[in-house]
Amino acid sequence: MENPATSPKKSSKGGWISFLKGLLPTENGSAFVPPFSLIGWIFLLAGFFGAFTFGWVVYPVALYSRQPQPISFNHALHLDPDVGGIEGDTETEKCLYCHEFRDDGTFSGIPKLAKCTECHDDPESPLGETQQEKEFMEKYVAGQKEIPWLIYYRQPDCVYFSHIAHVKMGKIECQTCHGDHSKTEKLPIYRANLLTGYSINIWGKNIAGYKTNTWDRMKMDDCAECHTKKGHEENNACFVCHK
Amino acid sequence: MELNRRNFIKFLVGGAAGIQLTPLPWKLTDDIAIWTQNWPWVPVPPVGEFIHEKSICTLCPGGCGIEVRKVDDRAVKIEGRTDYPVNPGGICPVGMGGLQLQYNESIRFTRPMKRVGPRGSGVFIDISWDEALTMLAGRISGLREKAMPEALAAVDGNPARSTLSLMIERLVKAVGSPNYVRIPCAEDTYEMANFLMQGTLGPMAYDLENADYVLSFGSGLLEGWGAPGRVINAWGLWHENPAKKRVKIVQVESRASSTASKADRWIAAKPGTEAALALGLCHVIIKDGLYDSEFVNECSFGFDDFSSAGGKDRAGFKTMVLKKYSPAKVAEITGVASDDIVSLARDFAGAKAPVAICGKGKGSLSGSLYEFMAVNSLNAITGRINKPGGILVHEPIPLSSLPEIDFDDIASQGLEKPRFDAAGSTKYPFSNSLINNLAAAINRSPESPVDTLLVFAANPVHTLPDGGAFRKALKKIPFIVSFSPFRDETAYMADLILPDHTYLEKTDDIVWPAGLQYPLFGLSLPVLEPVYNTRNAADVILKLAKQIGNSVESAFPWKRFEEVLKERAKGLYSSGAGLVDYDGTNPVWKRLKEGTGPGPDYASFEEMWKKIVSGGLWYRLEHTYKNWDNLFETPSGKFEFFSSKIELAVNAYAEQAGIDWALRDMGLAGKGDDVFMPHYEETASDADRSTFPLMMLPFEIINLTSTWVPNPPFLNKALFDTQLRGDESFVEINPETAAKYNVGQGDRIIIKSPEGEVRVRANLFEGAMPGVLFMPLGFGHSAYDEFSKGKGVNPNDIIHAGKDPLSGYPVWWNTPVKIIKV
Repeated sequence: MENPATSPKKSSKGGWISFLKGLLPTENGSAFVPPFSLIGWIFLLAGFFGAFTFGWVVYPVALYSRQPQPISFNHALHLDPDVGGIEGDTETEKCLYCHEFRDDGTFSGIPKLAKCTECHDDPESPLGETQQEKEFMEKYVAGQKEIPWLIYYRQPDCVYFSHIAHVKMGKIECQTCHGDHSKTEKLPIYRANLLTGYSINIWGKNIAGYKTNTWDRMKMDDCAECHTKKGHEENNACFVCHK
Repeated sequence: MELNRRNFIKFLVGGAAGIQLTPLPWKLTDDIAIWTQNWPWVPVPPVGEFIHEKSICTLCPGGCGIEVRKVDDRAVKIEGRTDYPVNPGGICPVGMGGLQLQYNESIRFTRPMKRVGPRGSGVFIDISWDEALTMLAGRISGLREKAMPEALAAVDGNPARSTLSLMIERLVKAVGSPNYVRIPCAEDTYEMANFLMQGTLGPMAYDLENADYVLSFGSGLLEGWGAPGRVINAWGLWHENPAKKRVKIVQVESRASSTASKADRWIAAKPGTEAALALGLCHVIIKDGLYDSEFVNECSFGFDDFSSAGGKDRAGFKTMVLKKYSPAKVAEITGVASDDIVSLARDFAGAKAPVAICGKGKGSLSGSLYEFMAVNSLNAITGRINKPGGILVHEPIPLSSLPEIDFDDIASQGLEKPRFDAAGSTKYPFSNSLINNLAAAINRSPESPVDTLLVFAANPVHTLPDGGAFRKALKKIPFIVSFSPFRDETAYMADLILPDHTYLEKTDDIVWPAGLQYPLFGLSLPVLEPVYNTRNAADVILKLAKQIGNSVESAFPWKRFEEVLKERAKGLYSSGAGLVDYDGTNPVWKRLKEGTGPGPDYASFEEMWKKIVSGGLWYRLEHTYKNWDNLFETPSGKFEFFSSKIELAVNAYAEQAGIDWALRDMGLAGKGDDVFMPHYEETASDADRSTFPLMMLPFEIINLTSTWVPNPPFLNKALFDTQLRGDESFVEINPETAAKYNVGQGDRIIIKSPEGEVRVRANLFEGAMPGVLFMPLGFGHSAYDEFSKGKGVNPNDIIHAGKDPLSGYPVWWNTPVKIIKV
């Protein structure tokens, strides 16, 4: 007897075509009732577009938290030569005034309160006239309390990233990866992935994975892309970053 | 538009299709993958600035240098310091795991408390420091008002010679009580042996690194003996060049410990017979004429026979040893073959720089005085006293002593009363304190003579080898105050908890690390801000003294403990020698051989102190080797094989009721002139050997603490499952002995001694001496966290402790037991 499993399948005559035809509503009032009535189609498409909209519009918003920073900080004001007076010969030097390298070469990231109080040392006499500074003085400087900054660009624990290697050896400007913050007056809202806890700046701001600026996303492929572009493919080896 | 089953399914199908064309499923998959790698309960080191702080470890008297890596304010790693001369880079597992004693609230006390539940239940309520201090000061003042200041006693487990210990003793004395009691350890026995034979008060100093033959009488060189970071480094030096290995290590021990297994030769002598073995070696060396005749003839007393003042002929060490310790006899006592004794003696005497060391295990338990003297004699007859690679004889470290106390009347009267533990009395003339006697005195009397007990850095309920006698005594003491930072068994019995900082949070010192061959003062500085509401016990004493007032207040004129340390350090400066810089490139033990050193590397006291505070140490290289004519401070001015001091003490005691009574009462089985010289005595035991045919011996291992310091939970991972499985610990039994009792591997047995019984599992081990059961110390806690509590059993609970002849210290190596199969 022929084994049905191994025998070549014979397509029934016009099988697919008549199946698809059958999906369409017919006008001729034949006895055949198609499985998809118009109403059926409406439900199907409602489901389709509903999910589509959810996936593209609702989900990317719902996935991330929206947390304002504990206090506001005005980069532009601090870098204004007439007001903040933070100086430096190059853009990078200006950044390093606060976001400094420690003696051991590690990068301090967001400055600690001690950096702020180098200038804002007396809680009783603010340097400017803004309400935000007063609030900062009262809440943090007077009480010697660290500001619980939310950090946009912290790589996960499994990643070893050395700023000094990129800035001093690679001679990359800060803006290249972080964008130009020197002119921003407000800090962006911090958004963390509710599942993973990662900042949106790490996985990427665009849910579809497109990026326009370097600082839109900082995933492994982005590191590799730049290494390759700069002719340092050897740095794409696993253990360079995943120690 | 009816929503029927079909249409609903269509809606779902449409939705399922639609969702595929959005980023949701793909992003979700990625996020879930990331989420699984970031479980919120997995600890991740904090992000911040890396800071390395240097200090020294004060968890044991070894005082190794440590470097603590911190991220901002959080300590994340403890490592050995390479720029500290004691331990060039290495530390022991307990020191490494020390961080787990820092942040664990189920191990640590976090604030002062007073007891509200029944004794031992561990139910306390929080109180303020002011309330706590007022309570204690009131209690002590009350005792003084009732003219019974001696009812205050303190138990102190801080390392010997430390400034904190000095402060505790001073407090007790200033109040008017003679009852300052220390936790006994091997160092006490060393000091006593040195005092009797050399007349000096400096600690035992072994020049291990420069020795070429190390004969260890049970010292756990790889188990944490001395300063573990130093000794394990020395072990490395001895084995550095296997092809040209010149250093030989011989371990005398009844169990194949790590040290015994890795030694060049393992001699299994019956426990407690080490003195006989040492004297047997002396016999061979003397008989073969291998001894150092220059030292023995010119610089020693009592080696040859002599005539005493009344013209009486006295037998000397030589005569006694030749008569009583022939290899055949010693073989009978120790179980070591006489050929082995002969060859060992010849090897030892034939080596260029041999040294014999003693102090069993880690040295955290006291030793036998005559055994230590016998080992010291072995060093002496081979001329190894005060020579490179031998035993170096030093004066105590030149720290300034604290000003004299101006006692008021109450204090003076109290101090005239006898000590409860009778240490230093005519019966125990050479002991400074005897905690076993204190417990016995309390248990004996209907009402505890101690009204208020202060406990510092000690957990005698768990660590004393006394079969639970101290625990029983504690129940009778009306008021107990614990200064422990840890929730230990003794603290659970306390009425008031005044928690100390942990060693990473406090200023403290290690005065001469255990066994080190040169004087070194190590300063431990806080590397962390106190995490909880705790206070340095020394500062608490200063505050307490102020509240008590009178002579107690005037005895403590300092505001902070740091001032006391600085004041003591003045003596180091005025000694005119010493160094405070050490960069790790040229080890001290190498430079020490020259005997000379550069002048002080500081110009003023302030400069010296500043450097001690930053580097953590002061040490001295200058040493006059040999110098035998001026070295000994014994009555004869020589090294005494025949101890004049013992003779004086025994004769003084005999004035009461004759020499025979005196010897018996002092616990001496020896007769005649033997008792004034190192000799072997069979350990006395009142137990019936037919009921208890076996012997139980506790032992120490490097990855389990056996002192007052809790065991860091990480170390549990380093235990074999033949040491601890689940909640059951194991006893090591020789397969031969096990077969006799029909005990197989892993069988559950009950070990019964006259003091009680414990339930353990059997581990058949060829390295265990037949007839002896070996139990590890450090298990069986009823306190601390889930990783220590209820894990295994504590051999101390069933130890039937006798008394060491003359010294009075507990004999923990002679517990008769029997086993019952479960």
